[in-house]
Amino acid sequence: MNRVALSLAGAGAVACLGLGFLSLAPNRLLSGRAVALWDAAGPAPTAAIVVLLALLAASAFAAPSRVQAGLATALLLAAFAAAGAGARDLAGGASGLARVALGAGFWVLAGAAALAVVDGVQRAGGGLGAPLAAAAAVVAGLAAMAAAGWFDALSLMREYHTREAAFAAALGRHIVLVAGSVGPALLIGVPLGLAAARRPRLGGTIFPALNLLQTIPSLALFGLLIAPLTALGLGGIGLAPALIALTLYALLPVARSTAAGIAAIDPAVTDAARGMGMTARQILWRVEVPLAVPVLIAGLRIVTVQAIGLAVVAALIGAGGLGSFVFEGLGQNAADLVLLGALPAIGLALAADLALQGVAELAR
Amino acid sequence: MRALLAAVVVLWAGAAAAQAPVVVASKIDTEGALLGNMIAAALEAKGLPVTARIELGPTNIVRAALLAGQIDIYPEYTGNGALFFHQEGDPVWKDAKAGYARVKALDAERNHLAWLTPAPANNTWVIAIRRDLAGFPPHPCLDDLAPYLAAGKPFKLAASAEFVESPAALPAFEATYGFHLKAGQLLTLSGGNTAATLRAAAEGTSGVNAAMAYGTDGELAALGLVALCDDKGAQVVYAPAPVVREPVLAAHREIAGALDPIFAGLALETLQRLNARIAVNGEDPGAVARGYLKSQHLLP
Repeated sequence: MNRVALSLAGAGAVACLGLGFLSLAPNRLLSGRAVALWDAAGPAPTAAIVVLLALLAASAFAAPSRVQAGLATALLLAAFAAAGAGARDLAGGASGLARVALGAGFWVLAGAAALAVVDGVQRAGGGLGAPLAAAAAVVAGLAAMAAAGWFDALSLMREYHTREAAFAAALGRHIVLVAGSVGPALLIGVPLGLAAARRPRLGGTIFPALNLLQTIPSLALFGLLIAPLTALGLGGIGLAPALIALTLYALLPVARSTAAGIAAIDPAVTDAARGMGMTARQILWRVEVPLAVPVLIAGLRIVTVQAIGLAVVAALIGAGGLGSFVFEGLGQNAADLVLLGALPAIGLALAADLALQGVAELAR
Repeated sequence: MRALLAAVVVLWAGAAAAQAPVVVASKIDTEGALLGNMIAAALEAKGLPVTARIELGPTNIVRAALLAGQIDIYPEYTGNGALFFHQEGDPVWKDAKAGYARVKALDAERNHLAWLTPAPANNTWVIAIRRDLAGFPPHPCLDDLAPYLAAGKPFKLAASAEFVESPAALPAFEATYGFHLKAGQLLTLSGGNTAATLRAAAEGTSGVNAAMAYGTDGELAALGLVALCDDKGAQVVYAPAPVVREPVLAAHREIAGALDPIFAGLALETLQRLNARIAVNGEDPGAVARGYLKSQHLLP
């Protein structure tokens, strides 16, 4: 019996019964009133969700993990479909200023379904095929519904539609911020990590310095960079200081994982290489670096996800990115505008993590 | 000699600036987005090349960027002159005309910045109460607060820590209008976000029935709140005006001609109405700005 799938199905059922699936607010600023699943979405979508929950619970006892993953994927898409349909009905019967937001019940149900997908995929094993298939099914399903205007009544999509052009630019800028800081961090951090692994005394000065950088709050580091960068003619606001600060934050994990990867190599391996007559340079490039790559990629996953999160704060110094929606939404107390920045950042982090997992798989 | 040298520098910089696009910026808030978009649209309509950096960051970042020449123009509030020139105790900032003249003169002399015509509106700190609060007249003022409190009626104000502690804010209200709020009558939030205080009052969170707000906040009416008028002038006046670097203005004299009629027409009620369309209805600030300017025949 798979207890994980069973408890996730239970959590989804409790959320549907006890929590509001959607919330209806009189306008963008006031808090919403919770609306239950059957009141919002009507009998057919409710029945579909109940049946899928029951099947998911039943699959915990007998069915193979692939069936569980498939059922959970269907449940996840059904939750989104019910939210879109329910939002359209609720918004249709309210004033133009009214806002329909996703409620706690939706988030718990969707979260439980997503975890059940991950659990099923992991139990199925067999490399990256299953996770990629599940991710592709979810993304394709959501994209098809979004393209058909299925979610247009949701407050989140209304925020998106008023900022469609800005959204594409912000997403692109966010990716530039992450790639433009993780790349240089690799170029600087890997040699630093190698040097620290070679000479422990050097490592004793490099790591405390990088640790110290890591503890400076991001907004403070951005602020500290304005004056020196303006003096250098690079500009104290915008892209340059954001890239520098994000690179500095990425250095510690990169250097640490490089050093850890080298340190984990069995001394007998390097001894054997030396016995074969390899030079120090050959040992580094042909033995140590290839053996350290899996640890390095694990570090890179952490760095990339961290940079995607930190780049949100860069909006406060005019660097743009998804953070501009987060801070605009915080200022207006508009939760759905905050989500318009936060959800794509989470999506980016998940996509980057999956992609780097694939790279790690290939490197093995 | 010095003046001549300065004039030469300004002219030379002006000639260089004539080629480059005008960088229009604003603060990262609702009104900043509205006014920044108005400035950008008006300059574009005059045929000027414009680079928009709307909602660049908080006040200190935008001001630093202007002083460093990273941006050329953004809307700022006259009362912030007190902050920029460390004259917080000076009563001049409580007078709209004198405060504007002071910040205009100081910025021209020390930073080569020009303040253009301000809007006849005041985005200062105000205290807003629930419209349904019994015991206030239809157009309530701060003068009505002392008798209300003396009668022992319920009152709880949601405000930022800065509002409660800064001598220019709540203490100035208390001294001018003769009331005193006890610790139990205050709900202090560490952030300075009026969206949060207004929502607390509108929804009665933790018994809150009054909120710190800004004069031009557009949300008040939609949330069923009303601002208490400050007819004794307890507060510093914050009138929004475009601030532009002198070399850029010298190169593009038409900037003043384009923006003066726009800001002269932005009365308090107009700003509240336009801010509400952004904050309450969730409309795009650029579309609201352009739509308003077109409706006033300020944009072709």
